[in-house]
Amino acid sequence: MKRIVVAGGGIAGTIVANRLVRNLSEEVNKGEVEIVVLNKANEHIYQPGQALLPFGVTETDELIKKEREVLDPRVKLLHDQKGDITKFDPANHEIRTADGLSHRYDYLIIATGSHLHWEDIPGYKDAVYSPWDMESAQKLREALDQFSGGTVVINVSRLPHKCPVAPMEVTLMLDDYLKRRGLREKTEIVYTYPVPGIFGIKTTNDVMIKIFQDRGIKVISPFTVTKIDPKERIMESQEGEKVKFDLAIGVPVHYGAKVLADSGLPIEGRNWVKTDKMTLRMEGHSDVYVIGDTTNLPISKAGSTADFESYVITGNIAGEIRGNKGRKFYDGSVFCYIATGLDSGTYIRFNYNYPPVPPPPSYVHWWGKLMYNKLYWTVTAKAIV
Amino acid sequence: MSSMKISSKLDLTGYSCAGPIGELSGVLDTMKDGEAVEAILADESTKKDVLAWAQKKGYKVIEEKKDGNKFIVVIGK
Repeated sequence: MKRIVVAGGGIAGTIVANRLVRNLSEEVNKGEVEIVVLNKANEHIYQPGQALLPFGVTETDELIKKEREVLDPRVKLLHDQKGDITKFDPANHEIRTADGLSHRYDYLIIATGSHLHWEDIPGYKDAVYSPWDMESAQKLREALDQFSGGTVVINVSRLPHKCPVAPMEVTLMLDDYLKRRGLREKTEIVYTYPVPGIFGIKTTNDVMIKIFQDRGIKVISPFTVTKIDPKERIMESQEGEKVKFDLAIGVPVHYGAKVLADSGLPIEGRNWVKTDKMTLRMEGHSDVYVIGDTTNLPISKAGSTADFESYVITGNIAGEIRGNKGRKFYDGSVFCYIATGLDSGTYIRFNYNYPPVPPPPSYVHWWGKLMYNKLYWTVTAKAIV
Repeated sequence: MSSMKISSKLDLTGYSCAGPIGELSGVLDTMKDGEAVEAILADESTKKDVLAWAQKKGYKVIEEKKDGNKFIVVIGK
């Protein structure tokens, strides 16, 4: 029997496990293939929805389900201690978990995701609300409810981070939210970003920065935050800027899972696994694939990236198991809706070779974004298409 | 150059949300003094932007060369 272990049950791990079981349905039903997901948490959070939560566009209970409900019943799920990975041992084709057991694999897919390290920037945790954290997103909703005007700073602490378009979305939804509440005239919105511009791809940056200018949003970039004084509410940057704020919304520093570094896997930067950009295999190991936020690829850390990658990994593992010779390659595909207000949106669709040019914002794309979110549980996560 | 260790190689010829400078900043942030990153860039305009950014940040531009249609830069700390 072939054993495929998926390390991590977030968006990437869940989609690839469900796609594998659908693709290898016959082999799984005959007991020739087993698919196992290891995940410490028993809950599955649809993280992209957290950006909508502070503005009342969605509710917490719409964003959380039990992982068991999201996974196909034929996928074996181990969680809590049984799914808490303590060591990767690719030389022996094994993973160890906190319950002391070892899990042998024929194929491993690493989907351990990205994690917030608030403590990297002194004062960040005490002063900044973040939609990148469920609890903090809920608190931001309360803070916005109490907000009566002043300076709001949006900050991206370091790159890369998950949902790269979300800082722009949060900024533009905030602008719309404040207009609807009659507070925009009393509020200055300041967007701070660690490299020049507001977004890394020039074609998208040029379109989005024009929208920011039209909405009167001030941009300070490059702005690499070094520390925050929570009492005085002052944010300082490496570039020597000091910004005083009444409310701060930010993206904490992101890291790959610590266990990857502790296990001696090939990593770079903040624990991102070195991954072949076309095959999605981990450097030096043909039986180990890497998916989603976990990779070091110069591509978006986003759910749609993981969805596109899941076709390649599933196709190649299923092909090898069946003895097929053709291989699939990842072309760098990404698709992201971008909210430009509370009833308008645009999108970017691109790959390694073709840059995105967002179409003019419209209600149709906002509606598309909401539908995409709603269909996550029944279509995307289940790998129906 | 000889005292610098290239500890990372990045192919930045494709499109990514962080962009070439964002991707480089994410790697250089965590590098130690004496380490360098080698980056492949798609065009001259990007190379100019990257070099201007690196100089402004105080990083060392160790090497720059053309390889066919691509540009290779080595930036160190």
